[in-house]
Amino acid sequence: MDFSNIGNNIIKLMTQYWKVFLLDGLSHTLLLTLIAVFFGVALGSLVAMCKMSRFWFIRFPISVYIEVIRGTPILLQLYVFYFMIPQMLPFLRLSPFMWVAVALCINSSAYVSEVIRSGIQAVDQGQTEAARSLGLSAGQTMRKIVMPQAIKNILPALGNEFIMILKETSLASTFFVGDLMTKYLEIKGATYLGFECLIIVGCIYLCVTFPLSKLVESFERKMSGKAGAKKAGTGGAV
Amino acid sequence: MELIKTVNLHKRFGNLTVLKGVTETIHQGEVVTIIGPSGGGKSTFLRCLNLLEQPEEGKIFFNGREITGNLTKEEKQAIRNRQMPKPPKVNIDLHRQKMGMVFQQFNVFPHLTVAENIMLAPKLLKGMSEADAQILARDLLARVGLLDKYHEMPGNLSGGQKQRLAIVRAMAVEPEVMLFDEPTSALDPEMVGEVLDVIKALAKSGMTCVIVTHEMGFAREVSDRVLFIADGNILEQGPPAEFFDHPRHPRLQDFLKKVL
Repeated sequence: MDFSNIGNNIIKLMTQYWKVFLLDGLSHTLLLTLIAVFFGVALGSLVAMCKMSRFWFIRFPISVYIEVIRGTPILLQLYVFYFMIPQMLPFLRLSPFMWVAVALCINSSAYVSEVIRSGIQAVDQGQTEAARSLGLSAGQTMRKIVMPQAIKNILPALGNEFIMILKETSLASTFFVGDLMTKYLEIKGATYLGFECLIIVGCIYLCVTFPLSKLVESFERKMSGKAGAKKAGTGGAV
Repeated sequence: MELIKTVNLHKRFGNLTVLKGVTETIHQGEVVTIIGPSGGGKSTFLRCLNLLEQPEEGKIFFNGREITGNLTKEEKQAIRNRQMPKPPKVNIDLHRQKMGMVFQQFNVFPHLTVAENIMLAPKLLKGMSEADAQILARDLLARVGLLDKYHEMPGNLSGGQKQRLAIVRAMAVEPEVMLFDEPTSALDPEMVGEVLDVIKALAKSGMTCVIVTHEMGFAREVSDRVLFIADGNILEQGPPAEFFDHPRHPRLQDFLKKVL
């Protein structure tokens, strides 16, 4: 393999195909990610609530759901939603892109629900007791006391989930749904410049995920800084 | 006047029975301290009073109204035979407003300012206006020497200041009784005094107080009556002078020998 022309080839590919990579591929990847995370969070909140339910007949099936989703590979889930479910529900006429999006939503909901649940349970039990002892109802306690504190645990983890999903959408290229990785396969096929294409696509992924992960990091640091001040404030309780 | 009456209170955690039939009456205006060894059930008894722990058996009367919803065997039988109507469900949130509670770990709300900590419950539960709530917060903070912290976040307060805030936060809903669960146990020694002073002032003002504490000197000074709880029951009680100087129960004699 000739490596001497890589630089030139990359420039050539970018000038010729930048629209395909960025406007077509990246936009589909981002769209897929946004759909998956948005509905993943919506569904995940619901799942988290059910998981914390008082009633075992709600808690149990939801636990099974979470364990099955988290315990099987996402590629397998994509296969199920791409091949099996459309056959089982033939009246649902969704595009391949939408079926992949649905699979990613379901996958994301299981992870997000655990993020939300652990974020809520990480809030000190004493906060709930103090609020209830003042006469707040369970709902008021959740809204006014627990959630505002839990959100600080949840948000950074959701940022990480966004990054994870963004990378996992590349698996959707298995079904040629038009995301960034699909564009890699297409352009490689057209130009036979696989190595250069891979570098370009990798850089595009990095350009999105790196700033995001830095953002999450700085947010986390800000939060832990505050928590540190709080600890110093209580003094050395023995 | 009887304010709180417990009858045959039982509380279990799994296989462990923490309260074994506590029967006690606390009168209005009375200051009762509870002492005893760790794990003896003092805190559990206190937490049962406002149903942070639901006792499995026994009853609690607050202002004459039963609040646990527990029924005796005879009552269950009577209801089944329709000789007695089913008692209405009690709204425990309303009762809790009348029982302020102060915790060992302060449990101030870290995401709210000092003033908001106080104003939250009156605004939310009593529909108090923002302006009235602010006046109330200023008044209460001034009483415990924290007026200059009005806009601060609790994270910037010392342990003693946090506990003083927790006390006035509980008082903001105008409770009829204050429950203190080891209010000074998590404090640095130099901050114990400032918190005890606030509680003393409160007790002198005629507020009914039930205080679980390890501060024997404080218990002796402030209380009308001292209870000794060990092994899940009240083993001895009496006015502080007699209680501390002439303990009768061997467990109490042993306990006092160790702590004094």
